[in-house]
Amino acid sequence: MENPNLLYKHNNPKYRATCRSARRIAVCRPARHIAARSTALLAVVLVVALATTLLAGCGDDSDNSITLYSGRNESLIGPIIERFEAETGITVNVRYGNSADLALLIDTEGSNSPADVFISQSPGAIGFLNGRDRLRALPDSLLSLHPETTRSPDGNWVGLTGRQRVLVYNPNLVSQDDLPDSVFALTDPKYSGRIGVAPQNSSFQDFITGMRTSQGDDVTADWLKGMADNNSPNYAKNSAIVDAVVRGEVDMGLVNHYYLLRRLGEEPNATGVNHYFAPDDIGSLVIVTAGAVLDSSDNRGNAERLLRFLLNEEAQTYFATETKEYPLVAGVSALPELPPRPELTTAAIDFGNLTGGLERTLNLIQASGIEQ
Amino acid sequence: MPQAIKSRPRVVGSRMVYGGLSVWSVALAVVFVTPFGYLIWRSFDLSVTWSDNFSQAWGPLRNTIFLALSVSVAAAVVATWLAWMLARTDLPGRRVWSVLAPLPLAFPSFVGAIALLAGFAKGGLIEELLSPFGIASVPRIDGFWGAWAVLTLFTYPYVYLPVRARLATLPHSLEESARLLGRRPFSVFFSVVLPQSVTAISAGSLLVFLYTVSDFGAVALLRYNTLTRSIFSNRLIDQATSIAHGLLLAVLALVVVVAERRLSSLGSSTAPPSRLRPARTVLLGRWRWPAMAAVVGWIGVALIGPLAVMGFWVVRGIANRGRITGPLALSFDNILEPARNTLSIGLITALVAVAAMLPLARLTARYRSKLGAICSNLVVTGFALPGLVIALAFSFWVLHSPLVSFYQSLPLLVLAYSLHFGAQAARVSETAVETVPRPLEEVSHTLGAKRVRRFFRVDLPLMSPGLLAGAGLVLLSTMKELPITLLLHPIGFDTLSIRIWTAAEELAFAQAGLESLVLVALSAVLTWFLLVRRVRFWGDV
Repeated sequence: MENPNLLYKHNNPKYRATCRSARRIAVCRPARHIAARSTALLAVVLVVALATTLLAGCGDDSDNSITLYSGRNESLIGPIIERFEAETGITVNVRYGNSADLALLIDTEGSNSPADVFISQSPGAIGFLNGRDRLRALPDSLLSLHPETTRSPDGNWVGLTGRQRVLVYNPNLVSQDDLPDSVFALTDPKYSGRIGVAPQNSSFQDFITGMRTSQGDDVTADWLKGMADNNSPNYAKNSAIVDAVVRGEVDMGLVNHYYLLRRLGEEPNATGVNHYFAPDDIGSLVIVTAGAVLDSSDNRGNAERLLRFLLNEEAQTYFATETKEYPLVAGVSALPELPPRPELTTAAIDFGNLTGGLERTLNLIQASGIEQ
Repeated sequence: MPQAIKSRPRVVGSRMVYGGLSVWSVALAVVFVTPFGYLIWRSFDLSVTWSDNFSQAWGPLRNTIFLALSVSVAAAVVATWLAWMLARTDLPGRRVWSVLAPLPLAFPSFVGAIALLAGFAKGGLIEELLSPFGIASVPRIDGFWGAWAVLTLFTYPYVYLPVRARLATLPHSLEESARLLGRRPFSVFFSVVLPQSVTAISAGSLLVFLYTVSDFGAVALLRYNTLTRSIFSNRLIDQATSIAHGLLLAVLALVVVVAERRLSSLGSSTAPPSRLRPARTVLLGRWRWPAMAAVVGWIGVALIGPLAVMGFWVVRGIANRGRITGPLALSFDNILEPARNTLSIGLITALVAVAAMLPLARLTARYRSKLGAICSNLVVTGFALPGLVIALAFSFWVLHSPLVSFYQSLPLLVLAYSLHFGAQAARVSETAVETVPRPLEEVSHTLGAKRVRRFFRVDLPLMSPGLLAGAGLVLLSTMKELPITLLLHPIGFDTLSIRIWTAAEELAFAQAGLESLVLVALSAVLTWFLLVRRVRFWGDV
């Protein structure tokens, strides 16, 4: 390649032929012919797309329908909603999303909100709307389906299912003797660097709020400090911890109980086991998912009917077997592999009235240095 | 004389056209300012104060700026190099790479990042592949470097597409002259190609910067503490701080957008395009294979790696089929309709966004109007706001407007998308308008062509590579968009990104992988159709 000109295709005899033909095409077939054909094709695609799109999916606005904003995933709740529709003839228009985002949307929409019912994955989101006075008090007939520990103290929302906090571990890396009865044992130096946590995740924060209610702020701050001193590896969320445990990146992790059960559903050979703390230990706190009727609802009767349906035996059995959570009404039992449901739940915690509420929890977490 | 032309341009056209463009641009700016209006209104409503709500902002703000700058620089360097390699050299298989290069933009960031992490994390696919070679562990992708790497890999197409479009219309007479004066190809690149592409590189890097600033998914997953992270973690418990940090983000974005316009107008030099002859192909010679390895390596990590991980999820899902029932079972139903919806809404939004931005781009780039520049800055700044903020602001304004009965309908969804992604079309369209040589317009005017005919026969064909690049960016972004889609889509109108999110949330990775593969395949077909086919003709890649 001594001659720099040979570096270009046009001057290189090897390439002459192709270049000439390329030039001929450019001259013989002016741009607009090809352009016109592409444009026409594009136009056809667009027209078809537009037509089909405008015809597709229009929500049912009739009286016999309600709108549900669901922070619970479609794969968890969709089938049972379909059963409700089939049994009652009421159409349910469901908007799925993240619980916190939907709560913010309902708050923004105000009295114009199309939503009748809100189902929340986390106590924080439903507590937020309750604090904004957006929930309508539920009738006693609905509330009485429940033990008191699994519904809102002011009767504005009901629990639908429970999810227990557990310690997930990799059996190849952890021996049975290392599994403690209490979450407080995890600050021991022998667990240094071995416990994955997700301090930014709402279920971890709910768990800390629960610890503050039962043990007080000082004990909670000490525990967080101990976990921080142990350099507990951080993850973004529960599923990331379970994934890291299964892969062997970290030995153990604090998560909700069903993440591993679902992971085993997808990957039956995954190496992970749930360890349950003692039932009276705060490490076994049950986080309650909740449902409520919104004050903007103009279809209160059907909205309450949906909540009542989600608490009947059929629906609660569905949650127990399919989503592997704890049912909350009497007479329905959880999966046999789960231990009995502990008494202490997030419903007993008044997130609004607790001194400083969630904000204080976040301050404690931040001050502890557990966040890496 | 050229200086005079630049400062007071002679434009073929009447005052009426100028007036019309101005009115449209101002209206557009007003619409695009509504999210900021919402933030300001909320900050008064929640009585945001400096001491309470901004005191914690310094750390996250510094992190945000640092990350966004690093990602922009890295994306600009890689994308410019890649665009030049694929447009100008005899790299083997460059047509295939041309189709693949913009595609990392098609990954919804939440799934793309998970796939990338699953590949590279401890115990992941890469480690399994490397273990026979004695490499025991790969470093954990995390924090600043993790966020920097993931965001650079997924955002470089914002620079690649505009630069590629610019190269397609760059007159080779310049490159030829440089060569005749004895420059070697790499020297031609630095002395001619690079200066001529500065506007496009700078416009694209701005998009990368704003995207990084607005991103939540990647920084949350990789745990890097930016402003968006504090906006999200405070959104329920401390709304005042959340809103205050949103405002801070908007101010940062506005400063950067204005600065970018200043800088790029200083360094811009645009030669008129020529399309009569194919560009000269640089023969790489002995650099051919090293260059090839670099391109394959980059596209491999950014695109093929995540795709392989998704493919692995699907294969595992198929292997386990039958053993798994219930919500986690892999299902091939219910993909066709979301795919069709995704395609339609993406195409419509791309068309609407480019059509809306073109008048503004003409006003700014052709008439060099101050007013146009201000409007354009406001439009572009909107891209820095997280999708959630845009969705909430949009919901607020629509419910307080006469449009209330159209709330959560398709036309308004398109409007919300355009509001979020219009910026991508705006800056790129300006670059496109700048490439139309003014003398050509004057000549066609002299020859008696009417304005409409001139636009369709002269301007549009010359602008189309740039406009299509803008449309392509909007298209790919819309197809994968999630937060706005979830909150504002008409119930029953499922898109692929909603399906992917539904599956990924519940750890049904097989399903999420399958739907992501469909989304990427769809994006690939559209990229080929819209971008490669057309750019190829004018640029002869």
